[in-house]
Amino acid sequence: MRSITIAILASLLMSSVALATSGAREPTSRSVALIGAMIDAADPGSTIHVPAGIYTGNLIITKPITLDGGDATVFDGLGQGTVIDVRAQRVTVRRCVIRASGKDVTGEPAAVRVSAGSATIESNTIEDALFGIDLRESPDSIIRDNSIRCKDLDPGRRGDGIRLWWSHGCVIEDNTVRGSRDMVFWYSENLRIRRNTVTDSRYGLHFMYSHDTVLEENVLTGNSVGIYLMYSNRITLRDNRLTNNRGASGYGIGLKDCDDITVTGNALLANRVGMYIDNSPSSIGSTGLFKSNMVAFNEIGLLATPNTHDNVFTRNSFVENEEPAATHGRGRLDSNVFAKDGAGNYWSDYAGFDLDHDGIGDLAYEPRSLFGAMLAREPNLRLFVHSPAQRAIEFTARALPELRPEPTLTDPSPLALPQDLKLTGAHPRRPTAMGVLALLLLTFAGGLAFFLARNPGVIAPPQGVTE
Amino acid sequence: MNTLAPHSPARGVSSAVSARSFAGGIASFARREFRDSIASRWFLLYTIAFGVLAVGVSFLSLSGVGSHGFAGFGRTAAGLLNLVVLVVPLMALTAGAGTIAGERERGTLLYLLAQPVSRSQVVIGKYIGLAGTLVCSLCIGFGVSAGVLAWRTGGVGVGSYAMLVAFTVLLALAMLSVGTLISVVSRKPSVATGLGLFVWLTLVFVSDLGLMASSILLKLRVQEIFGLAVLNPLQAFKMAVIVNMNASLDVLGPVGAYASRTYGDSLSWMLATTLVLWAVVPLMLATLLFARKGAL
Repeated sequence: MRSITIAILASLLMSSVALATSGAREPTSRSVALIGAMIDAADPGSTIHVPAGIYTGNLIITKPITLDGGDATVFDGLGQGTVIDVRAQRVTVRRCVIRASGKDVTGEPAAVRVSAGSATIESNTIEDALFGIDLRESPDSIIRDNSIRCKDLDPGRRGDGIRLWWSHGCVIEDNTVRGSRDMVFWYSENLRIRRNTVTDSRYGLHFMYSHDTVLEENVLTGNSVGIYLMYSNRITLRDNRLTNNRGASGYGIGLKDCDDITVTGNALLANRVGMYIDNSPSSIGSTGLFKSNMVAFNEIGLLATPNTHDNVFTRNSFVENEEPAATHGRGRLDSNVFAKDGAGNYWSDYAGFDLDHDGIGDLAYEPRSLFGAMLAREPNLRLFVHSPAQRAIEFTARALPELRPEPTLTDPSPLALPQDLKLTGAHPRRPTAMGVLALLLLTFAGGLAFFLARNPGVIAPPQGVTE
Repeated sequence: MNTLAPHSPARGVSSAVSARSFAGGIASFARREFRDSIASRWFLLYTIAFGVLAVGVSFLSLSGVGSHGFAGFGRTAAGLLNLVVLVVPLMALTAGAGTIAGERERGTLLYLLAQPVSRSQVVIGKYIGLAGTLVCSLCIGFGVSAGVLAWRTGGVGVGSYAMLVAFTVLLALAMLSVGTLISVVSRKPSVATGLGLFVWLTLVFVSDLGLMASSILLKLRVQEIFGLAVLNPLQAFKMAVIVNMNASLDVLGPVGAYASRTYGDSLSWMLATTLVLWAVVPLMLATLLFARKGAL
């Protein structure tokens, strides 16, 4: 309370000093038309260092220009329309706070909308926006180092944090998006999408009919789905980290009708489903390659529709997933290959052995979980995981071979050891707090025992009483 | 302390005195039960068994890649959960089943009832004594296991672990209550123990397998499956632990998702209430039956 009072007094003092020195009344916010006038007066290609302050209203940029907010400029749309609308090529918007777009879905209001090519949107902070940054037919643009927070709406009512529409050759890197719908790419090819972080959104990265792109080192946490590729071909997913994506579909990586996808070195941890494959590849002669991914602690490591074929899985580590691999519906995954050049995958539930110590298990890995087979038919039975009944069913299936289902897949040369798990951002551990809890529990037990062990009075049973 | 000495005031003289002597009677029986439990060594046996298992599960789950402290539905938690669901009902049911039936067979029950105490005091006192014993036993097991987790710095969060302990205690109290009821209705301790094992088998395996079968054969809807499952205190316990660890039951598939969506934040309280009912209702029944039925 006191510090707030002091702050208010200090700001009053400073503003009165400012009034006294400038002699003019300084409004806290000014119309964005001022900036419009500055742009009109500037030469094309020049840089405008926007004076610090809050500018309200909707700005339309129709001239190639660089707008540098110097981290002290706020563009406030006052909850109406698109805040900054870029309609000229080679515009740069940098180091601004851009906030309060409209929220009426029909006009798709955005914090920044670009409808011309070669824009650079860099190091901005976007808050309270329906759509964050929306590129429409704006090829060769760069979206870099922005922090985007969308309006706090029901997920179905939100807009996209970043959206590209027919914008080829763009670079999207080092952005942070929170609480949006998707970061979505429509009909956009040859993109570089690197080191972005998307949390608490619907689809972290979503591709629709967008081909020939590399996605590297993105971090997708706590979304409904991490990366969802649909009808998009020749895409490489490399070294991304997908954790805790557990919405209604809850896939780390989902692929629908995508050809020639390469998935390497990704970490897929604690999602509902690590990798989901729906009819990919879909064209004859195309393949999918899944190599050296760490798939751990998911409910299902790999889930694929029964028609999935011609994917190659090699050197992946499937660790402690509730189900390592499952078919979505009935059927098996044996139209896919689970080893390449003599190297299969690591499966933490592999019960075989490696007698010759060549790093390859001597028996094939063939998971045959009866409970898993039952789950595929009756998803409701998932209620009974972590129960002794589940174990009883698996035990029965082992004891009575005629009950054992067909293996969902065959890995002829399973790896004996998993790859290194690089979990840099794992949850913080608190050994001290746990130690305190241990002490508390033991002390409580001791205290309780001491209290109860005191003299019970006279009713200790007499010795030798019989009926 | 000698509230039960022959010269202690008769019940009903004044409400304050009566309330104190009522509670005092219960406390004396509770203490006596506790000492008996230690003397008969089942407490020691259960404590050692549970402690060794809990520490073993913690150690195992910390080996290999699991040791990176990554919490999904962490495997330490899953391991402890599986252990508790299996072992704790067995401990509580057999302990409860032996209590009155054992005294009855040893002939000490008549002696107890000769004390100037009511029969409900005997049942409740014995229940509380056994509950204290069980809670001690569980806290030692969980405490040592938490020590291992702290030492090896990994595993589940402290808050979730504390909630696991709390719900385990609640589960033990519920199962002990059922065990006490079994003890009151059984003439012999062997019958009581058999009945206790039967109930354990039913709750742990038969009811789940039966519900699985009926959900397939009768094509039960998710709300029906959830409603039936939650009647089983073991399922209620499991769901409560998972809700507190994950903030949602989506780990449990469509049924869990339905429960989370329908009941939201009140789900945890609902499940806890189920367990409390399982602790209170059988004990009340046992008290009533014992008061009516008498010593033999």
